[in-house]
Amino acid sequence: MAGSNEVNVNESKRVVPLNTWVLISNFKLKYNMLRRPDGTFNRHLAEFLDRKVSANATPVNGVLSFDLLIDRPTSLLVRIYRPTPFPDTDNTEPSTSSMSSLLTDLIQPPSSDPFPVIVFFHGGSFAHSSANTAIYDSLCRRFVSLCNAVVISVNYRRSPEYRYPCAYDDGWTALKWASTQPWLHSGKDSKLRVFLAGDSSGGNIAHHVAVRAIESGITISGNILLNPMFGGQARTESEKRLDGKYFVTIQDRDWYWKAFLPEGVDRDHPACNPFGPNGNDLKGLPFPRSIVVVAGLDLVQDWQLAYVDGLKKAGQDVKLVYREQATIGFYLLPNTDHFYEVMEEIKGFVQIWIELQNATMER
Amino acid sequence: MGPYPCGSAAGGWEGVRSEAQCTAAPDIDGLLAGAGYRVRSSDLCQVAQRLERLESAMVYNSGGGHADYDHLASDAVHYNPSDLASWVDSMLSELTPADPGPVRHAPAPDGWVDQIYPQPQRAVAARMEEEEDSGIRLVHLLMSSAEAIQRGDAALSGSLIDEMRLLLTRVNTGFGIGKVAGYFVDALTRRLYSVSSPAASGSPAEYEILYHHFYEASPYLKFAHFTANQAILEAFDGHDRVHVIDFSLMHGLQWPALIQALALRPGGPPSLRLTGIGPPSPDGRDSLREIGVRLAELARSVRVQFAFRGVAANRLDDVRPWMLQVAPGEAVAVNSVMQLHRLLTDPDSPGPAPIDSVLSWIHGLRPKIVTVVEQEADHNKTGFLDRFTEALFYYSTMFDSLEAGRANGSAVQQQQATAVAEVYLQREIRDIVCCEGPDRAERHEPLVRWRARMGQAGFKPVHLGSNAFKQASMLLTLFSGEGYCVEEVDGCLTLGWHSRPLIAASAWRADDLEDNARPVPDNFIFSSISSTSNTNDSNNNNNNNNNIINGNGSMLRRNSNNNSRSSDSSSQQESIHGM
Repeated sequence: MAGSNEVNVNESKRVVPLNTWVLISNFKLKYNMLRRPDGTFNRHLAEFLDRKVSANATPVNGVLSFDLLIDRPTSLLVRIYRPTPFPDTDNTEPSTSSMSSLLTDLIQPPSSDPFPVIVFFHGGSFAHSSANTAIYDSLCRRFVSLCNAVVISVNYRRSPEYRYPCAYDDGWTALKWASTQPWLHSGKDSKLRVFLAGDSSGGNIAHHVAVRAIESGITISGNILLNPMFGGQARTESEKRLDGKYFVTIQDRDWYWKAFLPEGVDRDHPACNPFGPNGNDLKGLPFPRSIVVVAGLDLVQDWQLAYVDGLKKAGQDVKLVYREQATIGFYLLPNTDHFYEVMEEIKGFVQIWIELQNATMER
Repeated sequence: MGPYPCGSAAGGWEGVRSEAQCTAAPDIDGLLAGAGYRVRSSDLCQVAQRLERLESAMVYNSGGGHADYDHLASDAVHYNPSDLASWVDSMLSELTPADPGPVRHAPAPDGWVDQIYPQPQRAVAARMEEEEDSGIRLVHLLMSSAEAIQRGDAALSGSLIDEMRLLLTRVNTGFGIGKVAGYFVDALTRRLYSVSSPAASGSPAEYEILYHHFYEASPYLKFAHFTANQAILEAFDGHDRVHVIDFSLMHGLQWPALIQALALRPGGPPSLRLTGIGPPSPDGRDSLREIGVRLAELARSVRVQFAFRGVAANRLDDVRPWMLQVAPGEAVAVNSVMQLHRLLTDPDSPGPAPIDSVLSWIHGLRPKIVTVVEQEADHNKTGFLDRFTEALFYYSTMFDSLEAGRANGSAVQQQQATAVAEVYLQREIRDIVCCEGPDRAERHEPLVRWRARMGQAGFKPVHLGSNAFKQASMLLTLFSGEGYCVEEVDGCLTLGWHSRPLIAASAWRADDLEDNARPVPDNFIFSSISSTSNTNDSNNNNNNNNNIINGNGSMLRRNSNNNSRSSDSSSQQESIHGM
């Protein structure tokens, strides 16, 4: 039942590798400490505990990263990940390495052919993690290699200090910024081929930024939602069945929504429940095609499936990837079939669209 | 090589799983290392079990009802979260005092020298704002000019400098890239055209003024003092006689806070000795002593028994341990804020560097704590272009943060402090760009190298915990510049601007205590006295009533023939007593 604190570790231990179990349990316990019953958040301790990595303009496994401040008033940082520039250079002069860390060299397009730009929103239920959190740095690097993409990880403002719609505003700012960068435009028609991606709260942000993009004239090639965070006032069957069983509880979900949504509203607010009673109708609108990954052991899956349903009913193109025995966070460590097969799905999703566009242009 | 899982860019995942452990130390779980956690594979099972126990303990402690883990979050001090096993154990011991025993008794002693994290990287943080094109052109010209100098092409370098000067007239040099570029063009010009070696210009007094303005205009030095003081305070817990050795006294800005904190210590303050090292004053004034007098007055006003000694030396490696007069039984703290890097030499040059002998005698003092704060940059590279590039990015970020501070502070004083603070930084830039060999003093090296060096010199790390982190973060909120960030890295704290760390603080010890000394409770500095303090005057033998201030001043004559450790009153030592 809601609020149950029954510790049921046996089930979760059976379905994930040991190191994954250690990692996610570690997060669970730390996050439990950080949420206060009065709705405030222990931000200092959160930042102290969060494991972060620096950007690295020296390529590691063919990927380099650098941070940019794209909006000074809100101190909005993004971390950009890209394949090594000048991969074909035979230049062995020692000065090359210093020169290549110059901003001007870093912002050369990775190729003359069309390439995808992925604007990524990290998870953390709107309250945790940052663009430089180690687990997300790894994931973004993975996306670069997987899709030959430039990945822009957005360090959006988090709740409870910054509630709705700050995270969406920051996502929108990042997307707008990307659209002004010549080096991110590719192909003969010089277009920004941008995908929005995110896990957990990041998935939720991706949806809402895509909605905002509809009227703006920025075309989004696709949305990639990994275990997106949605909810609603009702208690669904999956929530009741899986409460507390696989690292997540209804109680903590409620806390995070309360911390993110405006004061006084309930979980049927459209930010939380986009196809609920207060949702907007997307029928007939140029919403991007989506791939939505749902973990079968995630207690909010009923809301995620309702989201997929909502897109379908609105006539939108959506592919559901349902991983029956996967838990939250399966995409953080490359040690299961879930990880590799979902990565292939994402790769295919991005690749198909790029190839489609190439084919269209060549005609 | 880095801690990231070996991904295959060309598709095809075969073999990746077996490679997953390839980049971490052999017995550490490679995937968890990529997530920022260092756990031995062989410990995984035990750590899992203890996580289960911790969860049960947390639920139990919350009374089974509405979970409230306030104790763990607010009162407990967390250390080095990357060492997951130790963290779980420390949490368990907070909740269940009768604990059967931790997974490991001590952090892996070799872990401090192993490089799990990559070598210092060049984090490029830039602003995409107005004047982009001119700014980018300036950077390009700077790099080309530096490269020309490295190749020995003075003519090309000179003409590039001329071009830059022209560009600077068209660019706003009041802020942004124009400002910092101006300083670097100036430095390149000096390097190219100065006949004499541009040794440290200006008197120590001038330098102290610059330092003071840098202190006012930005949080970096305050962070250094604050963090070091917290570590010193904790290390002094339980000791009645304590001795702080400050490697660079300056105006003694760091010490009033420590004196006050010691005054408020539960159980009463210890008796405090402070030995301040600084350059001799050329004009015959005794500036060290003057500062000692002021600190003594403060100590007297808060009833802390206090004695000061000044040691005048131009270089740290001129100081000998006997000059510090460490007495048996006192707890020693050695404090170095941006001094140790001056003892380094070129990485390529053979033979021992002054740093080695200095670290050796510090170690010999058996200090309870050694606080080290250094610039987080690699400015000790031999290659000129590399060094120049590194400095360009470092100081752009530094200047950027100063700008934000000035923009936010409306007082004229703040503006003035910022302007003079820039001159302080300009000296560093000139040193790094213009000086070679023994002339160059600003040999900044990053934390990973200091960590290795301290480890090799026999020091054990003392982790800076979540309480120091929190207080540093709170300190930053007093500054309106929103871009500052404190980060915890393997037991050390860094302060940076917009995700680029600029200054790193670490703590060490060389006493004989065991590695898992119990951490000190949180909020030490701010705890209030409930009972009257118990300073018992009758116990001390000092001549309290007459302040012994010799007319000789605090200058200790650097007589290299004098090897005696005697404390005969004929030597030019002087002590200033408070209380």
